[in-house]
Amino acid sequence: MANRIKVAIISPEKTIFEGDADMVVAPAWDGEVGILRGHAPMLVLLGAGEMRIKLGGAEERFHVEGGFMQVADDVVTVLSESASTAG
Amino acid sequence: MAKTLELKRRIRSIGKTRQITRTMEMVSTSKLKRAADRVHAARPYAERLTEVIGRLIDPELRERYPLLRQPDSVKRAAVVLITSNRGLAGAFNVNLIREARRQIERLRGAGVDVEIHVVGKKAVSFFRYQKEELAAGRTDITDKPTLEDAMSVIEPLREDFEAGRLDEVYVVHAQFRSALSTPPVTVKVLPVSAGAESDDASGRTQSYILSPSADEILNRLLPLYVRNAVYRALVETAAAEHGARRTAMKNATDNAGDILDNLNRTYNRARQAQITQEIAEIVGGAAALE
Repeated sequence: MANRIKVAIISPEKTIFEGDADMVVAPAWDGEVGILRGHAPMLVLLGAGEMRIKLGGAEERFHVEGGFMQVADDVVTVLSESASTAG
Repeated sequence: MAKTLELKRRIRSIGKTRQITRTMEMVSTSKLKRAADRVHAARPYAERLTEVIGRLIDPELRERYPLLRQPDSVKRAAVVLITSNRGLAGAFNVNLIREARRQIERLRGAGVDVEIHVVGKKAVSFFRYQKEELAAGRTDITDKPTLEDAMSVIEPLREDFEAGRLDEVYVVHAQFRSALSTPPVTVKVLPVSAGAESDDASGRTQSYILSPSADEILNRLLPLYVRNAVYRALVETAAAEHGARRTAMKNATDNAGDILDNLNRTYNRARQAQITQEIAEIVGGAAALE
């Protein structure tokens, strides 16, 4: 619990994912970024690619294209017009 | 005899009407539920987006973003009116059209050239009837609007605004406060006015790592904001439409019930009177024979 962060992936139409994670890897506009607990506040544009949310041994994948990610107080918020669960 | 037959026919006809309105009421209730869910699902995105933009906007930099440009004088404006494709929703569409006309008249009164863009069959046929020229009349947007629908409505207007061909863009839509309260509202979507009121925001920006620059991010986010505002207007109007229809159909069902009660009473009275009269005639006939 102690090392977890909260993650939400939100599209205009609905909230796609909301939950805890150990680590988030997101496709920023200039390359992938990984977010762990204690990350400095950040606001970054996203490119197109795969978002990975790691919790325990499991990993959930999402596809995002455009939008942005906000990191503040160990809460990661991804807003993207085209985000979906990757099959 | 003729009167009771006539009454019977009306009772049957109104009973059938009531059945139809009751069914429509139930259909609207279930559609309303789903439409309201969509409105709620759209809320987090809008809230976060507004929050982030408010955090990034520096009032002194307004002039640098085309979407934030406040024109010195308004010469051309666009009014986007969102209505429904279907009727039988009480005064729902009428209220929306009235609000739009009020805005159009206000702008024209101030010497502004107004372009009228409408969504929904009801408004399209109204403005055709008024012989108003429509810049766009869309009837292909269903009661389950998507983000693509919103984009197709607003993107041409956004380009016109950026190019300086339009100075202001308004959206008239129904606000979904609850199923019973769906007042028409007018929102100015362009120029973007988000974050204008948050003064404490600029301080917090400093501590953020911004990648790329704040400028770049804002340039990307503002179009998202505009699109989302229109998407929300579409979704709220769709939900409001079902709410209004449910109310209208509930009233119709209740009224049909009242009329039925009255007719049944009149019918029974007529039937009794007829029987009484027949008995009186028989008694009278028997008395005459004695």
